[in-house]
Amino acid sequence: MNIMTQNTASYISNLKYQLLLAFLVIITFASSSQAQQLSANQIIDKANLAAYYAGDDGSAQARMIIVDENGNKQMRQFTILRQDEKDLGNQNILVFFSRPSNVKNTVFRVEKHIEQDDNRWLYLPALDLVKRISAGDKRTSFVGSHFFYEDVSGRNPNEDTFTLLAEDETSYTLKAVPKQPKSVEFSYYVINISKSNFLPIKSTYFDSKNQALRTMTVSKVKEIAGNATVMKSRITDLSNNSYTDMQFRNVKYNVGLPNNLFSERSMRTPPRAWLK
Amino acid sequence: MNYQRILNFAIAKPKAVYSLVLLITLLSLAMLPMIEIDTDPENMLSQDAPARVFHNQVKTDFLMRDMIVVGLVSEQNIFTPQTLSTIEQLTNDILQLDGVIKQDLLSLNVVDNIRQLNDENEQNQGIVFEYLMKNAPTSTAGSQAIQQAVKRLPMLNNTLVSGDDQAIAIYVPIVSKDQSYIIAEEIRTLGKTYLDNKNKELTLHITGLPVAEDQFGFEMFVQMGVAAPLAGLAIFVLLWYFFRNIPLIIAPMVVAMATVLIIMGSLIGLGFTVHIMSSMIAIFLMPIAVVDSVHILSEFADRYKAGDKASETVKQVMKHLYTPMLFTSITSAVGFYSLMLTPIPPVKVFGAFIGTGILLAFALTITYIPAYIARMKPETLANLQQALQRLEQKGRLAKSLQQLGVFSVKRTKVILLAFIALFFVSIEGITRIEINDNPVNWFKADHEIRIADKALNQHFAGTYDAWLVFTNNNHNETQARSHFQQVLEKALDGPTKSAVSTLINNNLHTKTPQTADNTINAFFTQELLITLDDMRFDASDAEQAWLDELVSISEQALTAKQVFTNPKMLNWLAALQAALVENGDVGKVNSLTDIIRTVNRELNSGDDKDFTIPNSSNGVAQTLLQFQSSHRPQDLWHFVSPDYQKTLLWLQMTSGDNQHMTKVVDWLKNYISNNPPPINIQHQWAGKSYLNVVWQDAMVSGMIDSLLSSFIVVFLMMMLLFRSIKYGVLAMLPLTFTITMIYGLIGWFGKAYDMPIAVLSALTLGLSIDFAIHFIQRVRELEREYRSLSKALIAMFQEPSRAISRNAIVIAIGFTPLLLSPLMPYITVGFFLASIMIMSALVTLVLLPALLTLLNTSSKSA
Repeated sequence: MNIMTQNTASYISNLKYQLLLAFLVIITFASSSQAQQLSANQIIDKANLAAYYAGDDGSAQARMIIVDENGNKQMRQFTILRQDEKDLGNQNILVFFSRPSNVKNTVFRVEKHIEQDDNRWLYLPALDLVKRISAGDKRTSFVGSHFFYEDVSGRNPNEDTFTLLAEDETSYTLKAVPKQPKSVEFSYYVINISKSNFLPIKSTYFDSKNQALRTMTVSKVKEIAGNATVMKSRITDLSNNSYTDMQFRNVKYNVGLPNNLFSERSMRTPPRAWLK
Repeated sequence: MNYQRILNFAIAKPKAVYSLVLLITLLSLAMLPMIEIDTDPENMLSQDAPARVFHNQVKTDFLMRDMIVVGLVSEQNIFTPQTLSTIEQLTNDILQLDGVIKQDLLSLNVVDNIRQLNDENEQNQGIVFEYLMKNAPTSTAGSQAIQQAVKRLPMLNNTLVSGDDQAIAIYVPIVSKDQSYIIAEEIRTLGKTYLDNKNKELTLHITGLPVAEDQFGFEMFVQMGVAAPLAGLAIFVLLWYFFRNIPLIIAPMVVAMATVLIIMGSLIGLGFTVHIMSSMIAIFLMPIAVVDSVHILSEFADRYKAGDKASETVKQVMKHLYTPMLFTSITSAVGFYSLMLTPIPPVKVFGAFIGTGILLAFALTITYIPAYIARMKPETLANLQQALQRLEQKGRLAKSLQQLGVFSVKRTKVILLAFIALFFVSIEGITRIEINDNPVNWFKADHEIRIADKALNQHFAGTYDAWLVFTNNNHNETQARSHFQQVLEKALDGPTKSAVSTLINNNLHTKTPQTADNTINAFFTQELLITLDDMRFDASDAEQAWLDELVSISEQALTAKQVFTNPKMLNWLAALQAALVENGDVGKVNSLTDIIRTVNRELNSGDDKDFTIPNSSNGVAQTLLQFQSSHRPQDLWHFVSPDYQKTLLWLQMTSGDNQHMTKVVDWLKNYISNNPPPINIQHQWAGKSYLNVVWQDAMVSGMIDSLLSSFIVVFLMMMLLFRSIKYGVLAMLPLTFTITMIYGLIGWFGKAYDMPIAVLSALTLGLSIDFAIHFIQRVRELEREYRSLSKALIAMFQEPSRAISRNAIVIAIGFTPLLLSPLMPYITVGFFLASIMIMSALVTLVLLPALLTLLNTSSKSA
């Protein structure tokens, strides 16, 4: 509910739109057997919660396979530690690289903020260097993969205006239009959200000519400690069909990560106990 | 004699001959719409030529695209809000064009910048990865900030923005080079809307080899439609001047047209593409095809008396001319067929089809022409004779030929000495020949492509690309492999272990033995690594430990082979790069080392002192991981393969001259032998500029083979024809002198020996032997008739020498429409062919009588 109060201004400005949308939804789904009617923003909040805020904290080992248009493959492995301040709120994230061996112990640290720019740091062991990465574009590649930084950390729902396009037995289809079109490389995206667990199953990004640019698809979901968890997803660049697969192992929730773990010290000296 | 029967048939049943010719011509005509134009200089090499295979492999491996280079040039500094906004809009428009590969387009507003961020107190706030110019600045200060930023990005400086800040480039990668002309035209149209309205001081230039090639194809097509008919017209007018008889000269025109149409139709119908060489086939065949007819008409006009039966006269003429015509046709054809010995496919096709065309023209001439003449009305024939006699008695040609005859016989020694002197001067000229070609120079100097090429290469480091690829030669992985085996053997038996064993056995047995870059036969591959890691998702807990160890061993073995993260190696490359530019032949080198050094500088202080390669491989890898956290991580793979065992240096050069490229290739060889790389690597060249060098070399050696072999074949044929070694040698002399003089002239004038020039040798050989054959044949006949050489020679300078001169003039004039072409190869061929014809006719008419006289007196005095 936080997010609603904090964003009163933008919500008021969208009020008319929301009303219209609600009206449309009612019209469209008047005959639907669904008892509960959710607004687009409610769906998005639930999706955000399911995808990025499961548990109070969590750890997971991630493996990326980056496949270029020639079919060459590269593998990256890293462990993600995450701690939520509160649901749909700020988060602390640490990413420890383990493979390839020549980037082992490279660390990203993120203080993800909802109301302001994130703080980001990076540690390069071979150069013995902690460097702050200035806030800027979040739609840059995450270590050369097809995932953007924002795909890993979660795109702030405040960036987009959502409308519910369609709804069927299993999923919601929403359209998201960026509030600042110049800040992104797409015109809009269409996102499919599962009704059963509210995980986004598919997102497709379109350009101004309604041409699909890239897609995110989830191919494997597993229930872990009561949380539906994406175990395998893929982002495809539709211009040349290159893609990156991201898979998780060892996913844990509510492991009790200490607050002071998310510090520069942990970047230089990896907390082995939490990386197992 | 077999021909006699054919001749009788042709004269008896002219309609059958006509219908046959018409039918075949119409069939060929139907093929013409299937024409496919090919202007890719790459096709000068066959599909499987190693250099071309490697070039294409490099293009695929490093995702190198065919590029259109768009340049905006200004008189002043281009870093103004207005110009930058034009760049932004133009780029966005170009990005919307079909056939453009968006993610690889290079322009100020789509490339990335990496920089230090300082707050107002000069406190470092970290590094920023951002678009260099996401939106065009609105202030002068903003424009200057971009100017400063570009200067700090070696990958962009002097590539996207010229060193003098007066020009900006947009590199437009395209899916297929066939579309480059269309896309270039679209960009020109887009450019006009921006430039005309508000940016009057800006000029737009478009260059890049694909555009040049595609545009060349377009203009070539136009040329074929214009030059060939013009050549036909010129020949027609000339024939009319000689014979003043339209019905009569229609016959040789029909032969020429039919020959050209049938040959072009069958070339296209057989599925050959029309290349710059084959596009000239029509223009070559047209004059050659009328030559024999001119001989027949001349002699017919001479022999025909009013009241004669035309069919009888023509039979006599044909009987007399058949053998020399057969031999001249065969020798000309041999000259062209010899081109098939060159290793260059378009030249082979050219030689094959012209050779066949000459034989076809011969076949048409000896059937169609007699049939045609035999059917002519007596009045028309009477007119013909009148016209001819008027022309021959009072003609200037007749008079000067008589004088020439007197001179040739009297001044034998002077002539011989002069020719010997000329021969040596020519030999000296030949040694001065510069072998060079550059497809952009196929356009005339005032063509927009040449203008753009000149303008952009003046400002930038160069728009001609060559790629230098280094490959790791060391694949030793024995140690890691035995370690791998040990771990696997110690592992507890179970499903995972047997799966791993099966995988390894399969891998060992399905490996292909060898490929171009020797990386095969490697045990450790990304595939192995990923498959092993895949198993970890399902393996039991007990299996995890050893499986993870196998993954680690494999991963480390792969990392160990990444020679292009090795600092020693990279520093060696950086030094090579600096030396290449220092040497002056290369404008700029873009490479992996620039990327690493730039990112490393910004990761550290941001000062020039940190523009270095990190001192460990891990440092390099970590620096590159940061580069990949940009908007364009894929840019890295243009310079290094994902396994870091191959790297590509992109050399920008300001000219596409083969000589320029050859110089760089030689320089590198020398440099590497003096400064061996710290690790065992090999180097190979690719890129269009390099391919041009390869086929040029192949052409030079191929032409020598072709010339020598056809020389020998023609010499043997001459001895056979004249049944005499003496006359065989004599027949070869005019062409030997002509070829030597032509190439001597090229050497002395400093005209580069390029493809069209190379092909001329075959042509000279084929055409100048014609004159010698006719001359010697007639002299020997006349000598027998008059029982005196000097009388025979005097007679020679009547009708026979006129026929020879007339032929030379017909062909020379027939080629002159080529001079009007906007394409240099056509002009070159037109000019030199005209010169060759005149020169070989003169050499024949001067040298042969002189030598015959000399030989005669010496044999008498002996």
